[in-house]
Amino acid sequence: MIPFKTPLIGVKRLSHTYLAGTDLSVDSLKNIDLEVFRGETVGIIGPAGSGKSTLLQHLNGLLRPQRGDVWVKDISILHSGEEIRTVRTHVGLLFQNPENQLFEQFAGDDVAFGPRNMGLSTEEVRRRVKNAMEMVGLPFSYKDRLTAHLSLGEKRRLALAGVLAMDPEVLVLDEPTASLDPDGRRRLLHILSGWKSSGTKAMVIASHNMDDIVETSDRVYVLLRGKIALAGTTRQVFSGVDFLLHNDLAVPVASELMHYLRKRGFPVSSEVLTDREAAQEVRGLYDA
Amino acid sequence: MRERSEFELFSKLSIGQYIPTGSVIHRLDPRIKLILGILLIATAVLAGSVVAILILLSSVILGLCLTRVQLRLAFTPLKFMLFFLFILAVIQVFTIPQYRTDGTVLLHRGVVKVTTLSLLSGTLLIFRFVVIVLGLSMFSFSTSTTELLHGIEHLLRPLERIGFPAHELALTVHISIRFLPILAGEAEQLMKAQASRGADFGYSKWNFFRKIRKMLPLLLPLFIVSLKHAQHMARAMESRCYTGGAGRSHFVHLHTGPSDYSALLFGCAVSASALLVYYLAVDEAVGRLLLNILRM
Repeated sequence: MIPFKTPLIGVKRLSHTYLAGTDLSVDSLKNIDLEVFRGETVGIIGPAGSGKSTLLQHLNGLLRPQRGDVWVKDISILHSGEEIRTVRTHVGLLFQNPENQLFEQFAGDDVAFGPRNMGLSTEEVRRRVKNAMEMVGLPFSYKDRLTAHLSLGEKRRLALAGVLAMDPEVLVLDEPTASLDPDGRRRLLHILSGWKSSGTKAMVIASHNMDDIVETSDRVYVLLRGKIALAGTTRQVFSGVDFLLHNDLAVPVASELMHYLRKRGFPVSSEVLTDREAAQEVRGLYDA
Repeated sequence: MRERSEFELFSKLSIGQYIPTGSVIHRLDPRIKLILGILLIATAVLAGSVVAILILLSSVILGLCLTRVQLRLAFTPLKFMLFFLFILAVIQVFTIPQYRTDGTVLLHRGVVKVTTLSLLSGTLLIFRFVVIVLGLSMFSFSTSTTELLHGIEHLLRPLERIGFPAHELALTVHISIRFLPILAGEAEQLMKAQASRGADFGYSKWNFFRKIRKMLPLLLPLFIVSLKHAQHMARAMESRCYTGGAGRSHFVHLHTGPSDYSALLFGCAVSASALLVYYLAVDEAVGRLLLNILRM
């Protein structure tokens, strides 16, 4: 699904080395090429230590490219000075376990942190806080609650609201559903798909939970030891079950089931992602 | 290669980092290294003589070479300190009264008065700090925190008889050192999260108060996180039935061998010669000699 020609984010031949120039240097990214277009969701999967977080931090300029470059709209992060703050409002980044990063006493103030830094008027800040909180399913009256008294799921949604209040064009999420209960996970994914439904926004999700990726992503990049090992539509990527399992990654349960059925000689499709599709394939076997 | 990102706190923390190379210095008994470190600092503070400090400096650099760690790593933290040291030295030159009255006057305009002695004391201050910082770097490069812990505990053990909590103190020191990089990592993460939401950390470099104000939102979450860490730590220790120092055996046994004694001997010799140089006023002799050579 590529409705617009120029990408919102373009990563070109990006490499990154941690602790460069010391005995402890580690190549964490090697020659990464990646594009994010309007209207799509891009999934990034890879085992722990494959460079996912490093890559995500390049997307909004928290890390400057050592080699290669990252473009956000028409701003080159390599050559940007002051504009880097504009980049960071275009690309909203939500870290892993963002609930640990809340710091204001009252929930509303935490959401208002971003808009206030953007230098907006008081009314505009208020409007944005209200919008963002309602978008994540927290009533506006929660703004006067103590941040510390919210539940884990509420805190995580509050942190998300803090990023959404800046009205970014791209939302970058690192393990958004980690350590949430099933209900909290469903609610979060629902909020994300609601936010993206306008069609002009884009999203980048890094996750270990393959079901999250299947539910949200149009395209997937597979990172292995700092390199992009595989890229394509979600269906294409998850049809490579052997490759993914061999590299310590998981595949959705439905894909894995079809994979083993095919190995036993049953004529089922290799591009199955959801339980519903798997059920259809199995029914097809009985009908045949 | 571009300059480092404004958030990488670790890269500036090369002081206090253990770099295992397995050199002679690494294999020394940590107790000996602790004693030598204390000796070095004491001598550097006591000996008010340029020649003495140069003796200390050369022996510290010799030691650093022996650790087989890149010398660059030891000198990088000095770059950050040099600016402050220079200011301190200037203050020393112009304000300490005893140095302003003695010695030959080099410059005297109004209240500004520079004598040979005040200039000397300013230079000494810089070199003293350099010696101490390099010495500490050598110690931290070559000593793991576990070794440090054992060293402190063994050295303080005689005091346990009069009720001094040697083991507990060593453990506290160990935990605080152990948690420094963790807290630095947390702080880095928080700064990044806030920068992602438009907070400005890197660009108002010279506005000191604005910079401090930007640090305030870091303190509260950092405080909460460290309390959480402490709680987890306490639980983990409780669940392993930790009871403290009495009756605990040790996995690591410290041995003092010939190389340790020779290191100790070398350290004592260096420190004694530095103090001797100071008390015999070798500086003045060297100074007079230099002046004579210049006059010829």
